[in-house]
This record gives sequence, C-alpha cells and structure tokens, in this order.
Amino acid sequence: MLLVKNLHARIGEKEILKGINLEVHAGEVHAIMGPNGSGKSTLASVLAGRSDYEVSEGSVEFFGKDLLDLSPEARAAEGLFLAFQYPVEIPGVSTTNFMKSAINEIRTYRGQDPMDAVQFLKMFKEKMAYVNIDQSLLSRALNEGFSGGEKKRNEIFQMAVLEPKLAILDETDSGLDIDALRIVAEGVNKLKTPQNATILVTHYQRLLDYIIPDFVHVLYKGKIVKSGNKDLALELEERGYDWIISALD
Amino acid sequence: MLEKTLVDSIKQNHSLTQAQQLALGKFIDKGFPTSKWEEWKYASLKHLNEHNWQWSPETLSVKFPKPDWKQSAIIQTLNGNTHSEGALPQGIALLSVSEFMAQNPTFESVWKARNPILDQNSLYDLNEALVSDFAVLWVKKGVKIAEPLLHHYLVSGQQDTAVQSKIFIYLEEDSEITWFEQQRSESSHAILSNYVQEIWVSKNAHLTLIKDQDLQQSITHVDHTFIFQQESSLVDAFTFSINAAYLRNNLHFYIDGPQVVSNLNGLYIPGEDQLMDTHSVVDHRMPHSESNELYKGVLMGNATGVFNGKIFVRPDAQKTNAFQSCKNVLASDRATMSTKPQLEIWADDVKCSHGTTTGQLSDEALFYMRSRGISKATAQTLLLLAFVQQVIDKLAHAEIRAELSDKIVNKIQTSLGLTI
Ligand SMILES: Nc1ncnc2c1ncn2[C@@H]1O[C@H](COP(=O)(O)OP(=O)(O)O)[C@@H](O)[C@H]1O
Ligand SMILES: [Mg+2]
Repeated sequence: MLLVKNLHARIGEKEILKGINLEVHAGEVHAIMGPNGSGKSTLASVLAGRSDYEVSEGSVEFFGKDLLDLSPEARAAEGLFLAFQYPVEIPGVSTTNFMKSAINEIRTYRGQDPMDAVQFLKMFKEKMAYVNIDQSLLSRALNEGFSGGEKKRNEIFQMAVLEPKLAILDETDSGLDIDALRIVAEGVNKLKTPQNATILVTHYQRLLDYIIPDFVHVLYKGKIVKSGNKDLALELEERGYDWIISALD
Repeated sequence: MLEKTLVDSIKQNHSLTQAQQLALGKFIDKGFPTSKWEEWKYASLKHLNEHNWQWSPETLSVKFPKPDWKQSAIIQTLNGNTHSEGALPQGIALLSVSEFMAQNPTFESVWKARNPILDQNSLYDLNEALVSDFAVLWVKKGVKIAEPLLHHYLVSGQQDTAVQSKIFIYLEEDSEITWFEQQRSESSHAILSNYVQEIWVSKNAHLTLIKDQDLQQSITHVDHTFIFQQESSLVDAFTFSINAAYLRNNLHFYIDGPQVVSNLNGLYIPGEDQLMDTHSVVDHRMPHSESNELYKGVLMGNATGVFNGKIFVRPDAQKTNAFQSCKNVLASDRATMSTKPQLEIWADDVKCSHGTTTGQLSDEALFYMRSRGISKATAQTLLLLAFVQQVIDKLAHAEIRAELSDKIVNKIQTSLGLTI
C-alpha cells in the first residue's frame, strides 16, 4: 500500500531525510527505531503532509496514488493516520465535535452520506471501549489540560474512529506508565486487520513486547541503515545503537 | 460641494431651530472625518465627499418577517422615522421628544447637562443638525418586561442617500427591558446611515441592549450609542458587527452614580472590503462602580479592524473596578487590526486592568486538524467559532443567541470559503 522511494526532505537549508526507501503491505506491522534526532518524526510528518518540510527528491505512493500531491486532509481521507508524538491542543473544540467534523468530511470525500447523531453516538460508544476512554474526556476541549496518557489514549481513540488503512504511531509509547502502555497497545492490536497496516515509531523496544512487528528498521541521520525482523529490536535493546552506527562511520 | 447641497436641501425641507443651526455650522466647519483626525485615523470618511447625497430620505413602509420567538413589542425606525408595530406593553410609551419633555419638565435641564464626549465627532453634529424631533421610548417606573422589545432599524434609498436617525430610550427607576436591535439596509446605492441612540438608565434599572449589525456592502453605518447610568443600575450591552462596508461604533458609557455595573460585549467579524471600528468610552464619574469590556474580533480577507477603548476614572470615582479585554484573530495575511487601549485614571483607589492581543490561528493546530481529514476552511472555522463562542455565550436569550450564532457561523464560513 505504501511505497517510499529515495525520499529526501529538508527544512530550510537543513536536509533531514536523505534517501528513505520503505515498502509497506496490508497486514504488516513495521517498527521504525533510531536515536533521538535521526528523523523519525520528520518522516512521519512528511507522510502526513506537514508543509514545513520541503520534499526535494523521491516519491511516495499510497495505493498507487502520488501521496505527496495530496493535501493533509485528502491523505487522511485516503486512509492515512498519524498519531502525533506531541498531540496539539485545540482550544474550544471537543473531541466529539472534532471527530464528527472529521468523519463527515472524510465521508463526503469518499462520496458517502454524512452520519447522523444517532449513528455517531453508537459508533463512539463502541470505539471508546477500545482504549477505555471516558465520555467526560471527549466532551472537553481536545487535548487542553489532558495528561500525557490521556493525550495518547485519545490519539488511539481517534484512530479507532477513523479506521485508517495505514496508521503511523509516533512515539505513542513515550511518557506512558506500564498500564497505560498496555491499554494503548491492546487498542492498536484490536484495530489490526489483514487489510490495514501499522508503522510504529519508537526508540524503545518496550512497546514491541506488546505489538509484535513484522519488520524493524533503524533510521539514522535521515537514512534507513538497517532492516530486520523483530529480533533486531531485541538486539537493539541489548546492545544499543552504537554497534550499527560505528559500523557505518 | 458638500456644504452647498446640504444647505440647499435643508433650506428646501426644513426650518432649523437655533440648536440645529449651531450644529450644522459645527458640521460644516469640520466636514467628514479624515485620517488626519486622531479618532478616525484608520477609519476616514473622506469617501463620503464624493457622493451627491440625497439628504431627505424617502419614506419607507416595510413589513419585516416576525421572528418565531416571543417579543413584547416591535418598534421600527425606517429611514429615521420611528413608530411601533401594534400595541406596546403596559407601562411603555413611544412618543416624540417634545411631548416627552413637556411631560417631564424637570428632566429637560438634566438632559441638557448630560455632556457626552463629542470630540472629533462631526457625524453627531450632522445628526443633530438634521434631526428635529425624534422618538422616545419611555419605560415607566418599576415596569419589568421579560420578552425582548424588537427594534427594526432600516435604511434604504433609490439614490445615494444620507439617513439620520435618532432615538432616545428612557428607563425610569426599577424598570427592566431587553432591547434587541436589528440594523439592516435595503439598497444598491450608497447610504450614509448615521444613527444616534441615547439611553438614560435610572436608579436600579436594568437594560440588556443587543445590536445585530448586518448591513449591505454599499452602506457606511455610524452608530453613536451613549448610555447614561444612574445609581445601582445595570447595563449588559452586546454589539455584533457582522456586515457593512464601513461600520463605526461609538459606544459610550457615562457612569453617573455609585454601584453601577456596565458590561460591554462586542464581536466584530469583518471580511473582504469591510472596515469595522469600535471606539468605546467608559467614563467612571462616581465611586464604587464596575465596568467590564470583552471584545473579540475575527478579521478575514483584506478586512480592517480598529479597537480604541477609553476608560476614564475621574477623581471622584474611588473604588472603581474597570476591566477591558480585546482579543483578535487575523484569519488572513491581508487583514489588519489596530488596537489602542487608553486609560486615564485620576482616582488612586481603583482596580483597572486591560489587555489586547492580535494573533493568528496556530499552524500546529490547523495541521493537526487537517491530518484528521478536516479541510483547511473547516478547521479554521472550527477554531474561529470556538474563539468567538465566549461572547455569544453571554447572551441569555436562547433564541436570539441561536439566531446570532447561525449568522456568525455563516459569515465566517462564507468569508473563509471566498478568500482561501
Ligand atoms: N521544524 C524544525 N526546524 C528545524 N529543525 C528541525 C525541525 N524539525 C526537526 N528538525 C531537526 O531534524 C532532525 C530530526 O528531527 P526529528 O525528525 O524530530 O527526529 P526524531 O523524531 O527521530 O527524534 C533533528 O536534528 C531536528 O532538530
Ligand atoms: Mg520524534
């Protein structure tokens, strides 16, 4: 579903991604690991369409479409989802209203009728159970005054509502205690189907105890320098990144 | 040219009283405000000199659709002529100012001594020069009316027309009304809509004043609302400035007694080729009173916004609490906003605070919303509506609140749709 070829991206004069190649198929879970500052969030942002980054070279196909040509909202409507490393506060807009707008705009994009209030309510109830989230949280202004854990759970709730084909989770595990981590991971696992795919961005192996990846990639200085299966993550946990980096330098 | 057409048409149509002649002289000396006048720096009216004005507006007869909420009365001011549609509630009268003064002889001298701040306000002079006898809405002592009085203010003309309107609202002691004013126009020609509203709020009286300003693009609307508050009175004022090419609000509060509360709430949302200017004055002349100003602005397209908030705390006004806040969002790169809080405090035992901000919608928030499938225009609309909600929520009347809310949503959506 996703085909990234020789992707270069820069911000101002600074090149951050320096030739990323990545192929993701339906049913797969990929983990992207790497030390802080290696470009993981940049890759996630470029895929989601953040305009601060300029793509200087390369291509990204999503179900055969040129992803880089689409607005962020069109990418979402095509089935891409990014769980933010730092979810943004949206003053005065509740999660409920936010999600209603999102769902109905996506449905319009896809030529479907909008959902009515009753359908929403029913669907919301179902999805709330995935991440054990409370109604009161959904009525509050989105992410405003949420704890770290609440923000991350809310991201997964939004993912459950939007049912993306490809979900990119950027450090969704960071800042979570073990119980919250388990809830989030269970949510992600429940949402997995043979038709969708997940990219987990993390710099700990911890999350991968709960969500087993099919592929593990190491991103370093804007390039994927090593790929392997879940054993690579365990090896990274044990030996750190230095052995890969020193082999490169 | 202005002087000649003005004087000619007045000679044809009216005989002026001495006071009118005096006002006319003042207006002709000053002319229309230009950007050289400090108080009109960003809102020059020089363009008014280019029209060959019809100074005697045609007589209108219009039936407005009745809103589906309950009102206690409908009062119309059509091209300056005020009358009531149907009966007025018990204890409320609509009469001419000469009749009113004849029945309230002791008030006349009080009225003449009221002394509003008219610095650089040549439009007030113009209004005074051309309006001879205006309507007074008289709310008698102790009369409390729960349902709003609906006021239809309309200007119209088959040619470029200058319309002068004036109304005086007199609330006696312990009375209470809600005045909901819909300011509208029906004209494809240029109209100068020059409106003076003066309000006397006696001891313990309570006024809710709501202005819904939704005029056409050919209209220059100048609204002078001067409110004089006596001991222990309460005024909740709302100004919703939604449409007009040029909209200027001179909203003045004169606090002439202790224990007065004045609440000024305003929302202006100008879009493409629109200018909205608020000049508020809160003049604390007596002690132990409180004023709260909450203004918000959303500037879209190439709109111009101006907020000038003057607060005077006179030497006698000890223990005054005066609060002012003005927050603005520039929803377009081409929009501009000028803010100027002006506090002059002569008393020493007072609490005053003020703050003005002008910013843009957060790119981070917009990207976050768009990444969920919400289009840029919808994302902007949601953020802007959340921003203006605080002012709308202060309206107690549910139907009026819903009506205005719809109108505001609509305006913001259309403006963003047009300018993105
Ligand atoms: N908006 C930005 N402006 C300038 N530099 C940036 C910006 N975003 C990221 N960078 C830089 O790009 C590099 C990669 O950052 P990031 O993608 O956040 O890494 P990671 O998620 O792997 O920790 C870092 O050196 C970071 O400082
Ligand atoms: Mg990161």
